[in-house]
Amino acid sequence: MKLIIHDLDKIEFERLLPDLPDSCRVVSNDGTIKNCIGCFGCWVKTPGACVIRDHYGDMGEWLAKSDEVIIISKCYYGGYSPFVKNVLDRSISYIHPYFETRNNEMHHKKRYNHTFETSVWFYGDDITDDEKATANKLVIANSINMISSIKGIQFVKSVEEIDGGIL
Amino acid sequence: MKPIKVSLISGSPKPLSSSSGTLLDELKPMLSSRFHVNIHSLNKPSVPEESMESILDSDILIFSFPLYVDGIPSHLLSCLYEMEIYLKRHARPDLTVYAIVNCGFFEGHQALPAIELVKNWCYKVGVSWGQGLGVGGGGMIQSLSGVPDGQGPKKNFSIALNELANHINTCSEGENIFVSPNFPRIGYKIGAEMGWRYQIKNNGLNKKDIGRRLV
Ligand SMILES: Cc1cc2nc3c(=O)[nH]c(=O)nc-3n(C[C@H](O)[C@H](O)[C@H](O)COP(=O)(O)O)c2cc1C
Repeated sequence: MKLIIHDLDKIEFERLLPDLPDSCRVVSNDGTIKNCIGCFGCWVKTPGACVIRDHYGDMGEWLAKSDEVIIISKCYYGGYSPFVKNVLDRSISYIHPYFETRNNEMHHKKRYNHTFETSVWFYGDDITDDEKATANKLVIANSINMISSIKGIQFVKSVEEIDGGIL
Repeated sequence: MKPIKVSLISGSPKPLSSSSGTLLDELKPMLSSRFHVNIHSLNKPSVPEESMESILDSDILIFSFPLYVDGIPSHLLSCLYEMEIYLKRHARPDLTVYAIVNCGFFEGHQALPAIELVKNWCYKVGVSWGQGLGVGGGGMIQSLSGVPDGQGPKKNFSIALNELANHINTCSEGENIFVSPNFPRIGYKIGAEMGWRYQIKNNGLNKKDIGRRLV
């Protein structure tokens, strides 16, 4: 499955990807997402699932079913938009609370015997070089922590520039 | 002389008992007595109306927040965006911003991308960047609040907070600082994992449920 996490409005998204195959799951902003409250319930209460049961509580499971994750986000200060970041904050049930050392740093172990590829599209008409440098570091750090490989990190000025072939 | 207004902002979604809050409690007594200090908690995705003016009317802002997925927790990011909008109408070029980012992993340097995000925010909204401090071993910070400053596992934290406070007190810019606890990494890992098992059992589950797979 391909998982698309994006912050576009409905019209923009349909213009970008008019013929979405059934093998894609799309995580869009329906205006109801709750923020992570830092309770770690997704590790110690309902392991693998977020305790907040809005439409975004099963991200861990969805990531475990995905072989590619495509993120389309407006660039905020060299990172994701609040909605996309909210979805990612609600995704830590994908990994295991236990630690292991990788590259001589502490990271979490895998919960699933599974990996996925990540492509990130940052859009915005005034993304600075500093912001791009931060965004690169951020996506690399995410890929180490989520045990995923990076397929691409792209910066575009507008959504129209996003290659229709992203799938 | 006009008092210098300083806002300490905890950005943990946990309004009570957070490591972010503890770090601010530790920093506060190190700040100059000339400062008039206000404390705020931004634990929801919006800045309360009454706080916006008070926060952005400060001379110095000190954000203390947990590292979430290598970045800023989304609720705080929403607040920063609201502040960006506010600052477009009320420019504050004389405001200086410092950031303390604590993270669950042992190595404070894992907070670098989050510190850079705050620095980039500063450029974007037209305020000055001061300094960032990345604190590793966030899971043990609250348990250290009873330990005397500069002692045992707290040694590095105290040195780093003092260095940050020196820059804040002179409102000057400094290189980022990254610290880990004076405590073996393996000990921190064992302690944290015991903590997860303790919590899962307290929730009526079995310790093997910790690795539950839904797929
Ligand atoms: C959703 C979520 C994401 C997190 N991501 C990271 C991370 O990427 N790196 C890290 O070292 N710790 C991470 N942590 C751990 C927190 O940074 C750590 O528990 C921190 O001490 C919490 O601080 P607080 O008590 O001030 O909220 C994460 C925690 C949560 C709940």
